[in-house]
Amino acid sequence: MNDHDTLFAQLSTLSASLVLLFGIALLWRRSLGAYIKAFRWQSLVLSLAFVMIGYFGHDPELYIIAAALLALKVFIIPWYLTRLQMRVGTEREVQPYVNIATSLIVAGLLVMLAYAITRPLVMVSKLPTRGAIPLAVGLIFVGLFVIVSRRKALTQIVGFLVLENGIALLAALCTYGIPLIVELGVFLDVLMGFLVMQIIVYHISSTFESIDVEQLSQLKH
Amino acid sequence: MTGYLLEIGQALLALLLAPGLTGFIRWVKARLQGRRGAPPWQPYYDLRKLFGKDVVVSKNASWLFRFAPYMIFASTLAVTMIVPLVAAPLPFDAVGDLLAVVYLLLLGTFFLALAGLDPGTPFGGMGASREMTIAAIAEPTIALAIFGLAVGAGSTNLGRIVAQTLANPGGVINPGHLLGFSALFIVMLAETGRMPVDNPSTHLELTMIHEAMILEYSGRYLALIEWAAALKLLVFFSLLSNLFLPWGVATALTPGALGVAVIALALKLAALAVTVAVLETRLAKLRLFRVPELLAVSFVLALLSVTSSFLLR
Repeated sequence: MNDHDTLFAQLSTLSASLVLLFGIALLWRRSLGAYIKAFRWQSLVLSLAFVMIGYFGHDPELYIIAAALLALKVFIIPWYLTRLQMRVGTEREVQPYVNIATSLIVAGLLVMLAYAITRPLVMVSKLPTRGAIPLAVGLIFVGLFVIVSRRKALTQIVGFLVLENGIALLAALCTYGIPLIVELGVFLDVLMGFLVMQIIVYHISSTFESIDVEQLSQLKH
Repeated sequence: MTGYLLEIGQALLALLLAPGLTGFIRWVKARLQGRRGAPPWQPYYDLRKLFGKDVVVSKNASWLFRFAPYMIFASTLAVTMIVPLVAAPLPFDAVGDLLAVVYLLLLGTFFLALAGLDPGTPFGGMGASREMTIAAIAEPTIALAIFGLAVGAGSTNLGRIVAQTLANPGGVINPGHLLGFSALFIVMLAETGRMPVDNPSTHLELTMIHEAMILEYSGRYLALIEWAAALKLLVFFSLLSNLFLPWGVATALTPGALGVAVIALALKLAALAVTVAVLETRLAKLRLFRVPELLAVSFVLALLSVTSSFLLR
């Protein structure tokens, strides 16, 4: 490996671990405001990672994707989430299904699991970014875990968005960016999915006067 | 022979610097909060005053109460001889490694908790139980955070780890290093009783931890415990600075290199002290039941640090 590749490898693992770190920081927090903030920072670091991969991987298309990501996930979605939170009222994640200390340990184990299952892939790969692949898979797991372990509809949405960030990171690391049109399609998908979820949250909130999804498992209320 | 002189010199340096470090943090904090504050050398006066005072011991206290301060002081002093403060391969590297550091520190904590329980006051018992709750989660994290570096260096010897990082400076920006640093930083705050975990500047507060255990102490015993607490802070600061950013540590025992090392150590300690002071000014104390969650964060960081440095070797 030459100097260029070594630096690329180190920067990509570094940025991937920062992105993962914000995913784990999410698990420590309780209020939705803190969730949104952590997601925002994560998306910012993610778009910087895209710029970095675009620069070292000589793929200018990634700059456009990074800009779209910045606009969508650092500004538009957090802004919508904050507005949504103001509409349905601030509810804190008081008692998640899995308590906070345990969820942190579980997140650590999930990342180790990601290391274990991506090991064959990392071993055959020749990409300089291969060291960061397990971290991206780990982030996908952490996002899934946020969805299944939290009670409030809004925090589950943030979990979904984190999961999506993980997928975007994995795509960028493995292929230096899928074609621009596909990536834009994915972004549009996320935005649509998010808008649909937002409408559902309004309905949950107006029907039950709470966004605790626990209420949905009962037939009557 | 020079090696042993170096060890003694290093321990003396730590003893001399430690109260000043505590005083410096207090002074910066006071300045940040808009107070004038006591001068940074105030703890030296405090220690001299305490050593000159009589000791008052409760009638219920046993020999353990009198013995514990010496034990706490001695075990912390022993750690300063293993941790590379100014020079990297130390002659005492053969005596103890990373695990010795962790368990010597734990030995001090153990005796402090016993001494808190011994006179049978409610505050002492409360403090001891809290301290143990924290220590039980914090100690393995210290070891684990440094293991991340040890994997890279191929040795648990602190001197070897420092020498290895100095020889291979590119490794500093790898994720294992960063995660390990943040893990150790959080544990440092918990172990030395700093702000989000314990408030070092109050006595008689219901949530205190360290102060609750030493409430019964006076005179030279209190002086020894305070000095040991300052030493422990210095040990953690120098672990953080010299293991993760080892520049300036002398690899050859020449007067010039040692001089540079002492200056570099002082600068790094000052930088960390300012960071801690800023943190303490900005953060509110966590509720006691959230402390294990904070420590779980640092444990996970340490775990990830070891995993990534082990698998990316």
